Amino acid sequence: MENENITAVAEGKPSGYKVTKKDLRNANWRWLMSVCTFNYQTQQGASVAYALSPVLRKIYTNDEDYKQALNNHFRYYNTQPWLAAIILGACVAMEERDGLAAADAVQDLKIGTMGPLAGVGDSLLMTMIPTIMGSIAAYMAIEGNPVGAGIWFALILAIFWVRMHALEFGYKQGVKLVTDFSEKLPNLTAAASVLGLTVVGCLIASVIGVTCPISFSFGDVAMEIQPLLDKILPAMIPAAITGSAYYLLTKKNASMTALILVVIVLAMVASAAGILA
Amino acid sequence: MVNFTILQVVLLTLLAFIKHVDYYGIPMIFVNYAVFWGLITGVVMGDWKTGLVIGGTIQLMQLGVAGFGGSSIPDYGTMAIIATAYGVTLGSDTGLAIGLPVGMLGIQLDVVAKILNGFVVEKSQKFCNEGKFNQMNAILWVCPALFGLCAALPVFVSVTLGQPAVNWLLEVMPQWFLSGLTLAGKMLPAVGIAMLLRYMPTAKYFQYLLAGFFLSAFLNVPIIGAAIVGVALAIAFYQRAERDTELAAHASADAFIGEDE
Repeated sequence: MENENITAVAEGKPSGYKVTKKDLRNANWRWLMSVCTFNYQTQQGASVAYALSPVLRKIYTNDEDYKQALNNHFRYYNTQPWLAAIILGACVAMEERDGLAAADAVQDLKIGTMGPLAGVGDSLLMTMIPTIMGSIAAYMAIEGNPVGAGIWFALILAIFWVRMHALEFGYKQGVKLVTDFSEKLPNLTAAASVLGLTVVGCLIASVIGVTCPISFSFGDVAMEIQPLLDKILPAMIPAAITGSAYYLLTKKNASMTALILVVIVLAMVASAAGILA
Repeated sequence: MVNFTILQVVLLTLLAFIKHVDYYGIPMIFVNYAVFWGLITGVVMGDWKTGLVIGGTIQLMQLGVAGFGGSSIPDYGTMAIIATAYGVTLGSDTGLAIGLPVGMLGIQLDVVAKILNGFVVEKSQKFCNEGKFNQMNAILWVCPALFGLCAALPVFVSVTLGQPAVNWLLEVMPQWFLSGLTLAGKMLPAVGIAMLLRYMPTAKYFQYLLAGFFLSAFLNVPIIGAAIVGVALAIAFYQRAERDTELAAHASADAFIGEDE
């Protein structure tokens, strides 16, 4: 009902203000708010309104128009925030040109790209990079060597620089880029998965340092189990543990928290019984 | 026995607060990655090396784990801060045994923050409709503060009230418990990796997983080496896929022309 009242006095025309580089940079910095306002109703919606409010104020000089534009952005929004900046830039360009007439198109663009951006961003930026760089950093760190963490930090800073220009980029390239790119996306994502799976295969064999300490002694002759296992298949135990966890997660729909607790209990038992170390 | 100075308590709590505000967006640099927060806590406690080792150990448990779409996951960063704070005096194994349970508890708090954020956002939108635009923006800053508290509170409690409990625990904690936790630390990367595999098209491209496993298990190729092979395989895959897409496009175009005639 409130919205209808606003529409009654809103004109919806943009002021004709030309958005500057400074406005876009400012919105990009304000978009750091991203997941900070996360709630179960609108998720990142309020952060979008927060980020764009200064530039929208310049586009809509009429208070009622401004309110309506903000309300449009307060709506449900949730995706990978680093990539979302590109979309928000495109939204600013659309509203600068068409004002509130673009409100529906803006909403469509945001909703339509939410899924694909989250797919790429979450798998590549939030999982693949931390897994690869994290394992390098962690392995060096355990030996007291900070170089791995340093390399990762350098990459993080480089990505941050790109992030801080993403909104401006989206504003310039607009909707065309998003649609062009989305045609190439399936093949690029699949290729990234190929890289990821190769690295993860390597991780299984190197990161999970669980061995079997059991040894039998026949009189003077001691027989250890682990070298025997290594002859059949090196990293057999890590592969078996990962395989079981994968099975429970996919086929049995186990939750990760439950699985972690099971592993901790299992580790207590196996360690006390001397089966695994 | 562990005894934190008031300055240390303040710094550790503040660090946890900053960590979580960073994690949820401002500026999303260290994203709760344990290796960095272990290292930073180590610097604060005056022993960066222990912090680095503890952070690295927890980072391994964290591999492959990422929270998407508002799902709640264990708080590995808080785990690193507490484990390092105690680990500097008690040794890294004991530190980890103390940090692990607190990190698991952290999950519950972020659900509360996300619920409370709902009310803040509602109020903000109300300010908007009343034309109070400055208040609309200002009140939203409550949200990151709430997230900050999700880490700051557990850390504050564990380095103040937690101290006697920890000291008591250290006296009664049996050896099997400690070595069990050490083993759990070695096994947990498997859960993270399995989680990662679940989000990837593992069944479809299983052969690449095998290739990577072979490189490390039989040839002892380090991760960077495997990544180089992975890039080569990915480029070959992409080129083939692009060609297939083009061919498919041509084929359907030809079929269309064929129908026309």
